[in-house]
Amino acid sequence: MFTLGVDIGSTTSKCAVLEDGASLTVTSIAVGGMGTRGPQEALDAVLAQAGLTLNDIASVVATGYGRARCPWTELQASELTCHALGAHMVFPGVRTVIDIGGQDAKVIALNGQGRMKSFLMNDKCAAGTGRFLDVMASVLQIPVEELGRRALRSEHPSAVSSTCTVFAESEVISQLANGVDLDDLAAGICASVAARTAALAKRLGVVPPLCMSGGVARNAGVRAALESALGAPVLTSELAQLLGAVGAALYAYRKQH
Amino acid sequence: MNTQEILNRFETVARDPAGQKDKYLAAGKKVVLMAPVYCPEEIVHAMGLVPMGAWGGDMELRDAKQYFPAFICSIVQSIVELGMRGAYEGASAIVIPSLCDSLKVLGQNWKYAVPSIPFIPMTWPQNRKPDYALDFTLAGLRRVIRDLEAATGATFDESKLAASIRVYNEHNAAMRDLVPALAAHPEITAAQRSAVFKSAWFMLKEEHTALVRELLSGLAAASPAAAKCPVTVTGILADAPGLTALLDEYGFQIVADDVAAESRQYRTDTPEDGEPLTRLARKFQAMDCCSVLYDPDKKRVEHIVALAKNSGSRAVIMAQTKFCDPEEFDYPLIRRACEDAGLPLIQIEVDRQMVNYEQARTMLETLREAL
Repeated sequence: MFTLGVDIGSTTSKCAVLEDGASLTVTSIAVGGMGTRGPQEALDAVLAQAGLTLNDIASVVATGYGRARCPWTELQASELTCHALGAHMVFPGVRTVIDIGGQDAKVIALNGQGRMKSFLMNDKCAAGTGRFLDVMASVLQIPVEELGRRALRSEHPSAVSSTCTVFAESEVISQLANGVDLDDLAAGICASVAARTAALAKRLGVVPPLCMSGGVARNAGVRAALESALGAPVLTSELAQLLGAVGAALYAYRKQH
Repeated sequence: MNTQEILNRFETVARDPAGQKDKYLAAGKKVVLMAPVYCPEEIVHAMGLVPMGAWGGDMELRDAKQYFPAFICSIVQSIVELGMRGAYEGASAIVIPSLCDSLKVLGQNWKYAVPSIPFIPMTWPQNRKPDYALDFTLAGLRRVIRDLEAATGATFDESKLAASIRVYNEHNAAMRDLVPALAAHPEITAAQRSAVFKSAWFMLKEEHTALVRELLSGLAAASPAAAKCPVTVTGILADAPGLTALLDEYGFQIVADDVAAESRQYRTDTPEDGEPLTRLARKFQAMDCCSVLYDPDKKRVEHIVALAKNSGSRAVIMAQTKFCDPEEFDYPLIRRACEDAGLPLIQIEVDRQMVNYEQARTMLETLREAL
């Protein structure tokens, strides 16, 4: 039995197909979140890869901020529930999930059986989210994917505010004007996101093992800064950005059983 | 009236405080505004005036911003905004207590932002329990009486205060009876529950008591609907339509609350014996379990856990008014106590300018799924 998870986020859309709630068959990611062609493109891609049609899917669950407007299903689950499920499936035994997405950050505490104990979400602010990294990459005039690589090369990370995206942008512009090295600025930017997220995690209580999900998990600079701030290794995977969709597909399977 | 008609009446009043004010003014009464969180309403009532709550409203803040820094409670900002827009015109005065830093700022700014409505300060003591606090409180109450007499021309008579205290204690009792009665009826929505509490701010208490008692009779005769997911709500305010709609959408039922604008108001009666004004001061001394009342033992934390446990709540929802320091200070302690008690807790940030409830939706949806 195939189930499909659709995670419609603020900047990307993700799909995952599970077979019998255990075997991950195919996944897809498309640029563009709710209100764009992203969800349709992600669906088309995942079905084409799997050689399936929607009629072959027993159940579809939507998650992410665009879940309420997913045209292929009325079944929804919150992204917190789905990231918890997906993280437990990919990292069995994980106790703390840190999810940094395009517009928010969440920390989820799981018990040993993968059941969600509690969670926290960030303040309504772009600081500490993927949006912050997008803005900063734009100021530095580099692709956002390059921030992490540059950060790892830095020997003297610069200080960048973690309080406010707008203030931080001004700071980065000033530091650029003062000739601060781009790698050091990138490291400061990654550390800024990590500091904010680490504070959120510490409010909830950090229990290892930890893992990261969401698009920002791909940023090695943020991951390294987060490990440093939390004093613990942070697991990640190529599937990190897809954990919400994987969790939604698993949720769909469990709803059938 | 049947139960639905009574609930509709509460909703009408809660939705239209200006209409209530105009109705009282048209009847020849004078209206005095009562700012959050605790005001000596009984004095206003005893002077033949109509005490009317002024807790602001959900709106975009525009004019009030010239008087406030960016990061301050939106309740006080919206009170000034409404004042500047003329929503409170016709009121004879506003009583503003000194219970938090934002309220102190509200009082000072009100004088300049809304000069047409006189500001009357109610200065409560920080340390309210010691004997010396009684004299301090009495001095504060007498100042309110003097200012009310000057602003309205009404006179104060302590024997009338005794009668008003009875009216208020009867209302307190009715509101306390209301909580378990509503909890026994899951068909009453969070929005309807909110309206019953909110309307109390805009009606004379004897009128509100009569309507609440009528509702209680109706509920006693009605069959309850199927159970929902029972929760306890805490915070300063939980009346935002966007929030109550989400609680209803996800099948939550508020079976108990520790909300400042709701049940916190009705926990403590004025004692029966002694001079009326002294009794009123003693009532303030007896109050507890509130973020804006100094309490080194933080009894509120245990109170919330007990409230949730005793009401059969499956979770606690903290409606955190944005930039409200007293509530933020209590949050870590409430969180730890709830964890120790095995009670899931979520903290949802709310403010008077909120238009997007997506984060609240995600949190409530997740809580429902987790439960």
